[in-house]
Amino acid sequence: MEKTVEKTLVIQRYNPEQDQRPSQQRYQVPFDNSTSVLDALLYIQQSLDPSLAFRWSCRMAICGSCSVMVNGIPKLGCKTFLREYSGDLLLEPLAHFATEKDLVSDMTLFLQHLQAVKPYLIRQEQSAATTPATKPQPHKQTPKQLAKYRKFSSCINCGLCYAACPQFGLNPEFLGPAALTLAQRYNLDNRDQGKAERMPQLNGKNGVWGCTFVGFCSDVCPKHLDPAAAVNQGKVASATDFVIGLFKP
Amino acid sequence: MNQPKRSDEPIWWALFSAGGVCFAVVIPGLLLTIALLYPLGVLPENALNYQQVQQWLLQDWWGLAGLALAGAAICLPLFHAMHRIHHGLHDLKLSSGLLGKILCYSSASLFSALALYFWWQGLG
Repeated sequence: MEKTVEKTLVIQRYNPEQDQRPSQQRYQVPFDNSTSVLDALLYIQQSLDPSLAFRWSCRMAICGSCSVMVNGIPKLGCKTFLREYSGDLLLEPLAHFATEKDLVSDMTLFLQHLQAVKPYLIRQEQSAATTPATKPQPHKQTPKQLAKYRKFSSCINCGLCYAACPQFGLNPEFLGPAALTLAQRYNLDNRDQGKAERMPQLNGKNGVWGCTFVGFCSDVCPKHLDPAAAVNQGKVASATDFVIGLFKP
Repeated sequence: MNQPKRSDEPIWWALFSAGGVCFAVVIPGLLLTIALLYPLGVLPENALNYQQVQQWLLQDWWGLAGLALAGAAICLPLFHAMHRIHHGLHDLKLSSGLLGKILCYSSASLFSALALYFWWQGLG
């Protein structure tokens, strides 16, 4: 289909090394029904302005790189289409993060929070299983056991939920939706034995208790994995841990 | 990484959750009965007369119904509401935490204690 209709994209430009403050730049982009925000950004970079900086990789909502604010709402650029908007589009870098350049956010804090909850299988007897005498055995899992955590396992680490979370905006120390969801995902996995190592992080004021169940994280999640529900399951787990803690010296 | 201090939030969250259930179930039921059905004359005229209600709440079953009503209609909803206000103050950047927390939960405790005191008085 020939691209005849044009749309205006207003993009926040900012180079911290040169600019005093962010500014806005307007671009006219031809589009049809299949033009995504990422397609439009690539068009601008290739045809109008090679200095525009943004992150992208897979173009199919798997890598989680192309997160931007579209008209103030966190979106994946590749999964958002120009046809969905009647007026101009305002593109800004993800809210609540520092900006490296233009639409590129500094995700360091996000990655630190993910790391803090040890988002991997922890096995106590791992060393014993790898001695020559005992051959390592695969960890078996029934479909029922898989179903317990599966809904929380499809996170692509795009960070949209952090840009949506007002509590993370107020307190960057708050571990945030994705990290707490990952913690819950591994705590629910029957192959994992690391819950005791993760709970202290969840029990703190920057763990599950930093959440006030706003729920916007679940609205913006491009994989629909309902982080708000995971965090609130984490609250039940933390409250249980609190009661057990009262009876333990 | 240092282990963070355990939060005392589970206590307040448990009271908040219990109060939320009361707000969702008990309060609408009470409002329907006392504020709608009774004034509209749907219930018999003397169904909620003073002696009858006093009998139910403070004399039958050692007054346990009165205790349950005070807890479910006053104490727990109070903690629910003050928990919301405490976190709302944080969201509006009006309170840094501790002072608001003390004010919110101590007022909920005070009025809960008053409700329980009046129930206790009614028993005698």
